[in-house]
Amino acid sequence: MSILDNVAGNLATPASGSGAAGRELRRTTWRDRLQMAGLIIIYVVMFLAFTIPFFWMFFGSIREEAEIFANLYPFTWKTILPIKWSLKNYLDIFGISDDGQKYGLQFQRFLGNSFLVSVAVVLSSLFFNTLAAYFFARLRFPLKNVLLVFVIATMLVPFQATIVPLYIVVDALGMANSYNGLIFPWYASPFVIFALMQFMRDIPTDLDEAAVMDGANLFHILWRIIVPLSMPGIITMALLEFQFIWNLFYWPLILVSSPKLQMIQVAIATQTTQTQTFWGRTFAGSVTASLPVIILFLFLQRYYVQGIALTGLKG
Amino acid sequence: MLATPVSTPTKGWGRIWNRRSQYYLIAFLFVLPALINFTVFRYLPILAALRASLYQYSLLGGFGDFVGLDQYQAILSDSFFRNSLWVTLKFTFYKVPLQVLFSLILALFLARENLGTAFVRSAVFTPVVTSVIVVSVLWSMMYHAQLGLINSLLSVVGIPPQTFLSNPDRALPALTAMMIWKDVGFSMIILMAGLKGIPGVYREAAVVDGAKPWEVLWHITLPLLRRVMMFVMVTQTIFSFQVFVPVYAMTRGGPLERTKAVVYYIYQYGFLFQDMGTASAMSIVTLIILLVVSVGQMRLFRSDVSY
Repeated sequence: MSILDNVAGNLATPASGSGAAGRELRRTTWRDRLQMAGLIIIYVVMFLAFTIPFFWMFFGSIREEAEIFANLYPFTWKTILPIKWSLKNYLDIFGISDDGQKYGLQFQRFLGNSFLVSVAVVLSSLFFNTLAAYFFARLRFPLKNVLLVFVIATMLVPFQATIVPLYIVVDALGMANSYNGLIFPWYASPFVIFALMQFMRDIPTDLDEAAVMDGANLFHILWRIIVPLSMPGIITMALLEFQFIWNLFYWPLILVSSPKLQMIQVAIATQTTQTQTFWGRTFAGSVTASLPVIILFLFLQRYYVQGIALTGLKG
Repeated sequence: MLATPVSTPTKGWGRIWNRRSQYYLIAFLFVLPALINFTVFRYLPILAALRASLYQYSLLGGFGDFVGLDQYQAILSDSFFRNSLWVTLKFTFYKVPLQVLFSLILALFLARENLGTAFVRSAVFTPVVTSVIVVSVLWSMMYHAQLGLINSLLSVVGIPPQTFLSNPDRALPALTAMMIWKDVGFSMIILMAGLKGIPGVYREAAVVDGAKPWEVLWHITLPLLRRVMMFVMVTQTIFSFQVFVPVYAMTRGGPLERTKAVVYYIYQYGFLFQDMGTASAMSIVTLIILLVVSVGQMRLFRSDVSY
């Protein structure tokens, strides 16, 4: 039995299917063990293939720069793991060390900008998308389907390919090079509306009918009944929105010209490579730019996966 | 239907009409902010680009002469624009099928729930939540001919140092490989959700009938997964066609224009050459291509036989 058979077998007999019971009767043979070992090796290889670059980046950020290059050949554990630990790269990018001040590096400012913009977008978009999703999922309105098509069709507008046109409009509105320009275009999203709609549709309607009898208005119904019941969906969408805005690159790159307003992702590309590339600083900057989303993901993984499966499959 | 004015006790038609229009008005306020957003930030840009594409237009100089369709004619005969479309097409054709294949393999291996697969799933998904720019900067260091991690790893198996991003024949494949690495976890999650959505009875029935595991995979699991795979193909094609960040961060379109994807070329025209008119015309052409592709793929999608 090859490994492929085993994998296919996993699928053929999911969880505690009837096939698994039959297999338990058989004693574990050396073949099973070999197969198990093969699977474990495959898992380890997969794990390393996706994590080694991140380990290299993280450990490279907490060692002296010369050490990164000195231990490159031959490839040993020293290539990845530091021998001497050092926080100098972080002191540099936050402008605390002399080197950092010499180059005028202020990553705290870029991090702050990214936080400000991300939080503003997440809060405003949750508010407005929830209102819109409630409208489409549960309110009556003439020609509501036409409006829905109007919303859904924006999903077909390719985002990166229409950034130049978006810039023309935002510039004409006087929002170029401003926080407003970074925030306003994203306060509503067709994907989030669509996903929240799916959640709200599944909530039984007799709940809000009872509320209407008690004299509650539409906003009360939304706030007291619908929002609490669609909380998992709202949290999921908040996460995805945060990640989307935090990782945004092209839009702040062209919108923002003054360094004071710059977001962290653009800063990594421009600040660390202005004169010459400092690998240690670039690693440190990349770590600070990635850590918030990676930590959020590791803690709230379940919501992420749900969100992608939901917007992915139904959207 | 719930919360409608029809069910409330009324005295005469005038009152019904008033209450109903009041209700509609309030309801409309719920959706109004979103509609304004989409009108201003999604639809208006397309109209603005259509207009700008008909004029000589730069950010600094504003609108110049009306040139009609000249700019469209110019870009369609511009060999660099055609080259950028070709590069984009190649990138998409390399990336999408390979990514779907790899994510399918990963999904099959990692679908079973246990501690080990949970670890590997998190690892596979980490590049997905990391920004494209961080991944691009990181990989351009890994691809570095003298100082890169990849050549160091290759030296373990005795392969001499290679050039990647500076090599005209390898730059685009190198970008593609990196982007597959970054995005494969995303499609894996969707495929895994698809796998879980297949009712277990189909596979169990086949096993009872004596089908070998690989036969189950080939004849039952994969055909039932076709819809989801098609969906991944469609969305990834649209994403891949708009590749920008890796080109910006890793190669700036070089070497020898071999990685100059269309969105990067548009950026170059609009913001480096300050020619917004031409950049708008290119955006419109790209938009049309993508609309045709997505509508075409959707049709394929819809005519697909469902189970």
